[in-house]
Amino acid sequence: MRMITMVLFLMLLSLPAAADNFVSLFMEQCAEVERPLNNVNIGRTMLEKMASNTDDEELKNTFKQLNSIRIVSSDSEEDSRYYYKKANELMKNSFADYEEAVSMTDMGSKITIWIKQLGDGKQDLILISLESDGKLFIINVNGKIDFDTISKLSGSIREGARLQ
Amino acid sequence: MTRIERINFLLDKYWNCETSVPEERELQTLLSSKDVPEELRHLSALFSYVKDEQSVSPSGDFDRGLKKKLEQGQDDGKQNAYVTIRIFRPLLRVAVSALLVLGVGISLYFIAKQDNRPRFVETYRDPNVAMQQATLALEKLSHALQQTETASVQTIYLIDELDIDWSAIDSLSNPVLPETDSLTQRKEGGV
Repeated sequence: MRMITMVLFLMLLSLPAAADNFVSLFMEQCAEVERPLNNVNIGRTMLEKMASNTDDEELKNTFKQLNSIRIVSSDSEEDSRYYYKKANELMKNSFADYEEAVSMTDMGSKITIWIKQLGDGKQDLILISLESDGKLFIINVNGKIDFDTISKLSGSIREGARLQ
Repeated sequence: MTRIERINFLLDKYWNCETSVPEERELQTLLSSKDVPEELRHLSALFSYVKDEQSVSPSGDFDRGLKKKLEQGQDDGKQNAYVTIRIFRPLLRVAVSALLVLGVGISLYFIAKQDNRPRFVETYRDPNVAMQQATLALEKLSHALQQTETASVQTIYLIDELDIDWSAIDSLSNPVLPETDSLTQRKEGGV
């Protein structure tokens, strides 16, 4: 009984140490000093500020419904290929409960989108993209994701993202 | 040799630790007599004490009594130890349980405290700068969705343009039936 209590106690202690999202885990496990990465994390507070500051209604609604956006990118072609492989390995090993929604290889670019339904209409989306110019993008979006709206955003998004 | 000379002789030997047991007994006897000279009288008390102590011997039941006392002491020790455990055992349990509860409580407090923190550090404090990154991310996602959608539609068109005989493909997926039919025909033909 005491042993079980101690094991539970140690498990409780180890909980906060575990990263709960793909980007954080990727940065913890895969990032190397010799291969620099750009990491951007935007939380709910900032998304709400951004939503209140933009004129575009679709973008405003999109931001309001999201919990977080995390981005990891690499400009180096060699590093991007290295990290692309690492990201897919991490995906298979630690995020096996995510469904592969879209996967495409076209003109030297590779795109994979993984999705996990979280309940209450919320999803966790992971996009791993190795572009034809050798750039890597890993994007993790969490919250209520409106795919129709997001797919329409392309092209007009930069114009729409005017801030007050 | 006179009596006094004898006493002095034996005393010299005694103080030099050269006396034998009979000589010491003799000295005790000589000094315990009444006609001891005045200058040696103080020694008679010492030698009579030694004589008395030498004559003391344990009683017949000394060994038995000692053994009994030792056993009693051991029993008392056992009894005391038992009492100590009986008193402290529940207290120890309470103390251990309290420590565990306290430990779990403290750890839960720190976990809750950590959970209250933001899950990650905001990279930007300025919404304008964050907006650029957020729009870039959404644009990438939007572009990826559009690309895959376009690719899927193109693939469907391509397949449609190939003018495939789907009924022939369907028949390929079920190759046993025609063979069965031919067998039936052969049987009907009397082969």
